[in-house]
Parts: sequence; structure tokens; C-alpha cells
Amino acid sequence: MSSTAPQIRRLQTVAPRLAQAALERARLTVVPRTRRRRAPRVPFVTFVSIILLAGVVGLLLFNTSMQQASFRATALQKQATDLGAQQEALELDIANLRKPSRLHQEAQRLGMVIPSTATAVIDLRTGRILGDPTPASAGDRIPLHMPGPKKPRELDPKTKYVQADAPAKTDGASGTSGASARNR
Amino acid sequence: MHVGFLLIAIVLSVFAGRLLQLQAIDPGSYAQMAADEGTQRVVLPATRGEILDRNGEPLAETVDGRMIVADPQVTRPVAARLATVLARRLGVDYFQTLERLRIENSRFQYVARQVPAAKAEKVVADVKEMFKDEDGRPFAGLMTERDPLRVYPNDEVAANLLGFLGTPKDDGSAQALAGLEDSFNKYLSGTDGEARYEMGAGNQIPLGDNTVTPAVDGKDLRLTLDRDLQDYVQRVLQQTVVGAGGESGIAMVMDSRTGNFLALADYPTYDASDPYRYDDKLYKSSALSDVYEPGSVEKVLTVSSLVDAGLAFRTQKFRVPGKLFRQDRPIGDYWEHGTLRLTLAGIIAKSSNVGTVLAADQFGRGQLRRYLTAFGLGQRTDIGLNGESKGILPQGAAWTSQVDDRIAFGQSLSVNAVQMITAVNTIANGGVRVSPSLVMGRARTDGGQEVGTDAVTSRRVISAHAAHETMLMMERVLDPEEGVAPRAAVPGYRVAGKTGTAQRVGENGGYDGSTTVSFAGFAPADNPRFTIYVVVHSPRAGSGGGSVAGPAFSKLMSFTLRRYGVPPTGGKANQTPVEW
Repeated sequence: MSSTAPQIRRLQTVAPRLAQAALERARLTVVPRTRRRRAPRVPFVTFVSIILLAGVVGLLLFNTSMQQASFRATALQKQATDLGAQQEALELDIANLRKPSRLHQEAQRLGMVIPSTATAVIDLRTGRILGDPTPASAGDRIPLHMPGPKKPRELDPKTKYVQADAPAKTDGASGTSGASARNR
Repeated sequence: MHVGFLLIAIVLSVFAGRLLQLQAIDPGSYAQMAADEGTQRVVLPATRGEILDRNGEPLAETVDGRMIVADPQVTRPVAARLATVLARRLGVDYFQTLERLRIENSRFQYVARQVPAAKAEKVVADVKEMFKDEDGRPFAGLMTERDPLRVYPNDEVAANLLGFLGTPKDDGSAQALAGLEDSFNKYLSGTDGEARYEMGAGNQIPLGDNTVTPAVDGKDLRLTLDRDLQDYVQRVLQQTVVGAGGESGIAMVMDSRTGNFLALADYPTYDASDPYRYDDKLYKSSALSDVYEPGSVEKVLTVSSLVDAGLAFRTQKFRVPGKLFRQDRPIGDYWEHGTLRLTLAGIIAKSSNVGTVLAADQFGRGQLRRYLTAFGLGQRTDIGLNGESKGILPQGAAWTSQVDDRIAFGQSLSVNAVQMITAVNTIANGGVRVSPSLVMGRARTDGGQEVGTDAVTSRRVISAHAAHETMLMMERVLDPEEGVAPRAAVPGYRVAGKTGTAQRVGENGGYDGSTTVSFAGFAPADNPRFTIYVVVHSPRAGSGGGSVAGPAFSKLMSFTLRRYGVPPTGGKANQTPVEW
């Protein structure tokens, strides 16, 4: 405690000097009075109103156009789906036309076969013909249809063979009757 | 004045109470209800991957389809006329449709399912127009809903491998019923996505809540098959089996160098676009699921192993008696003969069981089994189809000396056809066995197995020298004078092959008197490109591998060589002596 006593004393001597400086700085003067001008209110209100109105109308137009776009998007989406489905249908048609079983049928109708006889290869570099080509024959024909599914026995009854002597008998009967008629 | 304040206070209290009720007690569910009102949830279905052949030709594809649904409350008054129109336009059953259109107390009845979208929409639009009411409002009794349709554009081509999809499950997911569709179901299906958006008057509200989880489409599965070749192979196989009066058959074409299947045909087969008309026993590939005794085709494995082990050579001389009396019953050949003086090549060319047993006597114990295992017999080939049987290669105590003798010429063991062609292909490929593959690239089965051409493994089973020697011996099988299968020859090309005629095991577990005849071979023998295996089960009595499967082999091989532009090498068949 005894050690801090001189410091306090020094502060007491410094403080009045600081206060004086502050006093000098705080010497205020009166600001000269400015003339108060009243801005005209009408243009400002009009301006704000116009902005507001433009904003509202703009927003309305924007919203409307977005709705319009949304309708259009939905319609176009539907159209795209329809066209996609149509394309798929057409592709299915193509696939049906170019499937092997149909091509085989068409080709065989024109009398074409896939040869299994000896063929020849032409070497394009030397022009030499390798092999001994033999014309294909009707024997190279391959089956057009796969055997159909096996039906259950109930639906696929075996062909019944009936002894043919019954009509023979009637023939015989008529014959005998004829004979008897003749006999008579 | 006070009364006024009181009234206002009462009203405000009511509002406050309601506010408390809405905001404090379970506000979440109310917010949810508000959001749900007008929110549209749409499942974005993943498109199922296609199955393609090696050239990108579709074998199975998905097209946009629709189910047509009727509201019987609306359709009842016009049921008869409507049913007539639907029966004519959609090919549905008239009486069944009529009944459905008239059902009471129902507002939802299927009229048709999986109709191509364009057709369904057109029919429904026409019906709406045709049956509109007096005020001109369109008919509201029919609706369409999404119902994708799986198409197999080639009908029966590769049907045994592809399988098919049944009627979708109630949640709309595909129901794979057989074949690759089943074993790669997850791979092909993909994951459905979902879109949520707010709707007003049938249109999406712009700036409304909008979240989209895109669907992950299924991946395409590309096969190593060649569609046109597969089609030809199926037809020739049918001709062969029917011509021989057989019960069933298998024909396969493999690329000798890569082990890729170019064709894998089974007969009888079914139409994948109309599977329910066929017996469900046909919904499989018998090349994988059915095992049989390979018969003499197996001799080439025995002989090539002997050559590889240094225990025999092509011109080695054997005295082959007509019958060989061993432990239980005598081993004989398919033709009667006295003692013949055959070379090893002659034993193969004439397909002598006795000779093969005598040659195989050189093997040490277990040696033949090790070779056959290395050739891949008795192990699954895992080409990506479910239901493969791995066959039986006896082991341990079951491998008795009688069994050892019989296995040497292809009896007392069973294989599936894919194992067998792969084993024979090892010889075509210079002694290196490449695992067979049906899928291009790499794909994961539902069982978690990676299969495909990128997952192929190869291992050397016999030396290149042994493979070459075996090829030379197999070439003698097609010799017009000395061999048993001259009709398997392909004019202009060197061909190596081997016939097989084995007794079939019937349902009672013993031989039932019917046979399995087969022919396996490869060409050009001097630079093999293709290995072909033809098997016919239970042909009429007296048929042999050379006379039934041989000509089919020749047809298929000449077609394949031509299709892939393989020129003849111009070499002449070797003339290794068959007798001494």
C-alpha cells in the first residue's frame, strides 16, 4: 500500500491539466440556421405509386406468363410422351418386320436357301479364288416354324382309328340285300 | 363501448384458442395435410435395361405400355357395345370383358394389361369419343395407367437363355421368371425415382414446392451371342432332332480363342413373347441344367492327357482285341471285330473303347481325374444363368478301377454340355482352357457373381504339343476312308472332331436303352476359330454321332466360317496311319 501512494499523488497533479484541454476543445459555436425547404410531395407520391403499380402489374404479368408457360409445358410434355409412344410403336413394327422368322419366310417364298454346300472365297489382294463353289439346293432348306406347344392330353386327343369294317358290312349288307333282291 | 370490447375479447380468445390448438398440439400433421393437399407424388419408373446380342441387336427390350382400366359403374349401361369394340381392337376375350364391365360394387377392373402405349391411348381416345353422353362430354368409363411392356422381338431366338418377365407384381415391379431376366434381375431393373410437385387444376404450379429424385435406369446386358447365328443354329438343331426322331438336343458355337458363346441353342424351346402356351419345363437352358454321359467325345480328353503326360504318342501301336475282359463285365466296341492292329490315331478315328482303355492303363492312380478336373469337368461353369448342374466326376472310393476304365471312354461320369464344349475347346485353343462366357464385358448376377468376358480366366491344361497331336488324331475322325464321321467334313477346310454315342440313364437310374449322340469339333483345324458341339438325346435306334450330329456340325460350321469370313487355309488333312 505504501508503494502505490506516490502514484496517486502524481495522478492528482495530472488530472486538472487534462480537464483544461477538454474545456478548450468543448468551446462550442452556434451553427448558422439553414432555411428549411419543403420538398413538393406530389411527384414523390406519384413516383412511389407508379413503382408500386408497375411492380404489381409486372408481378401479375410475370405470374400469368409463368402459368401460361406451365400450361404449355404440360401440353408439350403430353405431346412428347405421345410422340415417344408412337415412335416406340413404329420401332416395334420395324422389329416385327425384320425378325429372323419373317425374313426366313419371305426368303423361302422367293426360293432362297442358306447354302451349306462348299463356297469359295475370293482373295481381293491376289484375285485368287479359294475353294470349289457348289450351288445350293432345295435340300438346304431349314424349318420355318417351331413345333407349337404341346397341349395337355385333354385338349389334344389322340386320333381314334375306328375299324373300317362297319361300312364294309353295310356295303356287304346292301350287297347281300341287293343280291337277295336279285335272287328274288 | 365495454360491451364492444368484451365481444372483441371473446372473439380474439376463440381465435387464440384455435391458434393454440393448431400450433401447439401436433402442428406437424396439419402442415403435412396442407402440403399433401395439391401435392402430386409421381414415381419416376426406372427403365429396365435391354438385353442385346454382340452386335447390339435387341433380344429383349422394354417399351412404354399401358393397362386399360374400366369403371364398371360407368361402363355397365354400355357394356355389350363397349366389349365388342374392345374385343375387336385389343384382342381381349369378349365374354370375360363383358363380365368385368358389368361387375357390381366395383370401380376398378382391368380390361387389358401391357398394351403398347400408342395403341392403348388411341383405343381409349376413340372409346371416349364413341360413347360420349348427350351433352357431348367424353366417356369416363375407361382409363389408362402406366404398365411397361417387355418385348422379345425375336420370339423363340435364345428364349431358353433370355427367360421372360411375368405379369408385374402389384407394386408395379417386374417379375422375372426365368433365364437371364431372372439371374440379372437387379442389374437390369435399376432404381425407381420420385418427383413431388404442387398441382393446381391439372398443371404444375410454378414456384411451388418441387423435388425430384431421378430414377436410375437399369443397365443393358450385352451378350456374346450373335442373333442371326443363334437363329440359324436353333433351326438346324430342330431339323436335326426332328429328323433323327430325337427327344431333345443342344447345339453350341464357341469362339475358340475367347471362349465366347456365339450361339447356345436348346431344342425344344419356347416363344419368349408367348411363354404361357408352353410347358414350364422348357423355361431353362438344358445345356446347363441337364447332365448326361458324354460318351466317346470324352476320349479326346483322355488321349490328350496321355500325350501331355508323355505316356502315349500319335503313332503308338496297340493290339486291340474285340473284347476286353476286366473286373465285372467285358468292355467291347460298337462294332464286332477280331484283334486289330491300331495306332493311337486309329483308336480315335475308329472310336475304339477297348483301345482307349488299353492306352489309359498307362495313367498313374488319380492322374486321369486330375486332368479331367483341370479340363473343368465336375465344376460349375458359371456363365451367368441359374440352375446349372455341375455333373458328376466320381471321386475317392467311388473311382474304382472299373469306373476308371469306363471314364476313359466317356461313361460313368456326367457332364453338362457347356462343360464339355469348353473342355474340347481347350484342345482347339492350344491346350489353354478359357472359361466360357455368355455376357460381354462384366456384369454382376443377383447371386453376387461377376461374370462376363472381362472376368474370363484361363489356365494351361495340356501342352501346346499335346493339343496339336490330339488335333491331328481328331482330324482322322473325318477321314472318308478311315474315320467314323466323314459327313461332318466342311468342304475346303481342315476340320478336327470327335463323335460320341453314349447310353442314356433313364429315370430309374439305370441305362434305359436310349442313347445320346453327339459331335464336337473345331475348324479350321490348322488355325482353330470356332468350336461347335451338337448333342441329340434319344434319337431313333441305330443312330450314331457321325450320322446324326455330324451333318449338323458340318452345316453349322460352314455357315459360321462363311458368316465370319474365315478363308480356307488351303491345307490338306494329315494322313497319320490308323493301322500298322
